[in-house]
This record gives sequence, structure tokens and C-alpha cells, in this order.
Amino acid sequence: MVLVLAIGDLHIPHRASDLPQKFKSMLVPGKIQHIICTGNLSIKEVHDYLKSLCPDLHVTRGEYDEDSRYPETKTLTIGQFKLGICHGHQVIPWGDLDSLAMLQRQLDVDILVTGHTHQFKAYKHEGGVVINPGSATGAYSSFTFDVNPSFVLMDIDGLRVVVYVYELIDGEVKVDKIDFKKTATTRLAH
Amino acid sequence: MFEGKLNLPEKACRAFPDRLGSLAAGFDIKDDRSGKSDSAFESGEELEILKPNGPGSAPESEDDYVEMMEEHFESRVRRNPKKYGSRLVSVKEVIAADDKRSDLEYEKEINLEKLQRIADTGLPDGGGLRATAWKLLLGYLPSCRDLWEKELTENRQKYLKLKEELLLRPSEITRIKDEVSNYNDQNADNDVDGPLRRQEISQEDHPLSSGKASVWHQYFQHIEIAEQIDRDLQRTHPDMKFFSGDAAFSRKNREAMRNILLLFAKLNPVIRYVQGMNEVLAPMYYVFSTDPDEQNAENAEADSFSCFVRLLSDSVDHFCQQLDNSSGGILSTLSHLAELLKANDEELWRHLEYTNEIKPQFYAFRWITLLLTQEFNLQPILRIWDTLLSNPFGIQHMLLRVCCAMLLCMKNRLLSGDFVANLQLLQHYPDVNIEHLLQVARDLSPDTSSCSLSP
Repeated sequence: MVLVLAIGDLHIPHRASDLPQKFKSMLVPGKIQHIICTGNLSIKEVHDYLKSLCPDLHVTRGEYDEDSRYPETKTLTIGQFKLGICHGHQVIPWGDLDSLAMLQRQLDVDILVTGHTHQFKAYKHEGGVVINPGSATGAYSSFTFDVNPSFVLMDIDGLRVVVYVYELIDGEVKVDKIDFKKTATTRLAH
Repeated sequence: MFEGKLNLPEKACRAFPDRLGSLAAGFDIKDDRSGKSDSAFESGEELEILKPNGPGSAPESEDDYVEMMEEHFESRVRRNPKKYGSRLVSVKEVIAADDKRSDLEYEKEINLEKLQRIADTGLPDGGGLRATAWKLLLGYLPSCRDLWEKELTENRQKYLKLKEELLLRPSEITRIKDEVSNYNDQNADNDVDGPLRRQEISQEDHPLSSGKASVWHQYFQHIEIAEQIDRDLQRTHPDMKFFSGDAAFSRKNREAMRNILLLFAKLNPVIRYVQGMNEVLAPMYYVFSTDPDEQNAENAEADSFSCFVRLLSDSVDHFCQQLDNSSGGILSTLSHLAELLKANDEELWRHLEYTNEIKPQFYAFRWITLLLTQEFNLQPILRIWDTLLSNPFGIQHMLLRVCCAMLLCMKNRLLSGDFVANLQLLQHYPDVNIEHLLQVARDLSPDTSSCSLSP
């Protein structure tokens, strides 16, 4: 039972000053084993804050990140699943499923976590799963100002992933749950 | 067949009168004991792995019967030749063991008083008798043998259910719930591409929930306790393969003990887990799992849990810090100990209390809360617990007497020691002859304070 937090596109301090209070009160240290961050934090203080939630932090570079040493993509294995991270601004057209699927095949992962669009998405496409945790601060994106703050918490338990989506809509936290099992039929596209 | 043998105790008494003398003087000086022990133990010094009924080396004996019965004690004698220094006592034990075995095997209704008396003299090590006796003495098994099967199965079922309710990880709980509700459309999602189906659960449980009723929240709260339990279990009896090491066997045992302690902590939110409870659980779990009866050994976890709860039931207050000063708390018990010592040996009491200024808290706290498990090795503890559990006035009552006896047995050294030496001595209690210690405990003049019987 491994809890993995997927979060990104905070754009602190340029487009937002902080995480919403309701999110901050939920994110306490000690519960989460890994953090996957898609990028655009954008400053070191945010990195330190995330590090305090969990020592195992993985960040990929977004176009506004001040620290240029983050990698463009990253892969890691948690339990039975291979996860890939990429900010997403490199994948053109932005948010296009087929292009993301290409990236997924390139990284050879089961779950690809990307950001940049600031819109939560969870898609099953060509044998893999693409998850976009959205923007945790609700910062405006390149396309739109209408962004709901959101992040994703994955519970990886054997061959099963339960994805909990936390969204702040009209000042209230809404939680959704998505179930996903790794079976022999996924990855057939390869 | 027993007729001839029943005469033996008198014969034995007549035959070894001088052994008593050597016993009384020799107990507190460990090194002298080997010098004073009779020749029976030269052969007993060989260390072998053996079953209680295995062939023994022949000690000197006046009687073939004694020789035969001696086999029953080889195991204990060989493991601790210095401790079990009296053949007189061992013969009595043999008779008791035989008596007891006949009782347990043939009688339908166990006479609890008789059992208490027999257990007081010590239970034999092998053959599962101790396990059954302890279960009877703690009230886990009813005295009517016919009801045992039913009681045991019921209790074991209850334990399994408790485990399911309280010890499951939250992921498993959600998975079970999902399997139940989504059984029909399980296959629908997996083959189709597209957005994954979302289920709104804002009102239900999720990992970051901080609601009191949330399974996740409770789980995270108990992670700390679980970690402490794990740390303590690693340190339990590090010299015994049963508990420590990386073998699958010891891991399984530690896992079982972990479940028991965690369950206890969850069911008692006020006391939770206190460091040391693992030591109290260890002898009991050991005895139950080394029961030769396979069914009993497999269910040792469930049985140990119930008996552990019963064992702690009247001393649970000792673990609760807020109750320290109350009438059932540890300070009150320690003052009873001091009173007991004063009533029996004023000189020693005065010396400890005023000359040395050693308060009972400094040494007896651990003796009492952990039921002496940290002061002796496992074998002597099992023997001491036989007596503790068999006392009709309750475990705590006998425990105080044994603690007092421990002080009396060290009287000479204590009287000549200063604060540092005495504290050192009492906190690292040396090996003594256990039978003698228990005899001194029994012989103490009764505690006249009104709280000697458990309230």
C-alpha cells in the first residue's frame, strides 16, 4: 500500500501565492511515501515545502522553473507499476493524447504523469494511463483563466491503483475515486 | 500403582535432610553453589537437546523410582544446573507432575483449587501441561473438560473477527468494498480506451481525510504505535531463536505478537501500548506455541491474546500514567511492597529506606509492571509464573510477596551495601535458586493492610 502524490503547475510566486488553505491542511507529512511533481513549482521554497511532506520527491522541469537542474523526464518503479513524469510543454500539440502516447511508449511506462494544461485528466489510451493532476494552486494556464485547483493521490496496492482526485470547486474540496488494474491486456499496443 | 510411590516423599525427606541446610545457606552466593551441590549434578552438567522424557544420565539414587522420575527433570536441571539445586524439590515435583497429569487426563471436572495447589509447586516443562494449566488458571478454559472444545473454537473465531475488523490496512478495506459493489461491471472498463470512470466520494473515506471515523485516519494514527511495537519486538529475548533473528519461524512469531499487541492497543485507547508489554506477552506466547498439541500450537496467537488480556486485567492501572497516584496505581502498589517488607524484616526495610534512601520506585517498578520478566531468564520466569498464576488471592498479591522475597534473599548483601552498590544489585538481580525464592515468598507473614486482596 503505497501512497503517491502527483502534483504540479503551482507557479508560485509568479501566478499564485500559495496552495489553497484547504489543500494545505490535508497535506501533512507522514502519510505519503512518494511525491511526483510535473514541474513549474517554480522556486526553491516550494521544493523545500514538498520535501517536508515526503523525503522522496521527483520533479521534472517545467518552462518556468527557476532551478534548471531538474530533468526533462523521469521514470520510476513503484510496486508493480512503472511511472513516467514529464512536464508536457515539450509534447506538441499540448495535451494531445496521441503525442502523449508516443512519449509513454518512449519512456516505456504504465502510467504517465504530465501537466502543463492545468486541467485534470485521467485517460486510458493505447494501453497506458495518462494522468494530469492539473494545477494545485489554480494558476492560469496558457489557454485559460478558468482553472480549478486540483491534485492527485495514487494508492498503489499490488496490481491495482486507486486514484483519488482532489479538486477545489467553489471553495469546497471534492474527492473523486478512480480504479485501475494492471492486466495482461494493457501494453498490447506494444 | 501409585501406592508405593506415594511413600516416597517421606523417604526422600529422610534421605536428604542435609540438602535443606545446604540450600538455605548457599542460595545467594552463586559460585559456592556448585561446590555444595551433591554429586547428582555432576552428571547433570552435560548439555544436550532432549525431550523431557528422554534418557537421562544416571544420578546417584537410592531407589529405582527416583532414577526413573529424575528423567522428567533432566531438561530443566541441565539447562540451569545451578538453579535447580535440590533433588528434594524435584522429587516432589515429579509426584505433582504425575498427580497433575492424572487429573488432567482422567477427570472431567477440574478442581481449580487442587490445580492451584499443584501448579504452585511447579509445572513440568514439556507435554503441553503448562499451556493447558495456565489457560485453566487464567479462566480462559472452563473447568468442565467437555466445554473446552466449544470455548476454544468460539474464542478463536472471535479473535479472527477482531483481527479482520481492526487490523486490516485501508487499501484492503476499500478493495473489499469495491469488489462487493462493482462485481457486475468489473470488466467494462478494462478494454475500452477513453477517460477513466470517476466516482464521487467527497463524503466517503479517502487517504487524506482527517475525520475520526475515517479508516485512513485511524490507520495513520496507529502507525506510530505499530512502529514502536516493531522496535520492541526486535529486542525481545535476543538470545532465543524463537523470537529473534531472520528465520521465517521467528518472523512469524514476531508477526503474531505484533498483531496481539496492536489489537490490544486499539482496544484500549487509554493505555495503548507501553514499552514492556512485549516482555509480558513473550513467555505466554512461547508456552502456548510450544504446545505439542498441533491445534493448540496453531492457535497460539488467539489463545495468547485472550490470556494476555486476562493477565493484565488487574494490573492494567500500573501502565496508565494518570493513575499513578490513585489507589490502584503503581505508587500505591509500591507502598504495599514497602509495608510488606517492613512487616517481615524491619531491619532491612530501615536500611533500604533510611540508610540507603533507595525508594521502591527505583527498582521494583520494573519488577511489578513487567511481572518480573526482565529480571530472570525465560525458564525461571515460567516457573515463577506457575506460582503467580496459581495464587488464589490473585497474581498481584503473590507478585508482591515474590518481590519481597527477592529483597529478603539478598539481605546480607544489601545490609552491607551502600546506595550505589545496592541499586546496582537490585536493578541487575543476580541468579538465585528459584524454588527457595518462592518458598520464602510463601512463608512471608501475610500483609495485614486491607488492600492486599485485589479490589
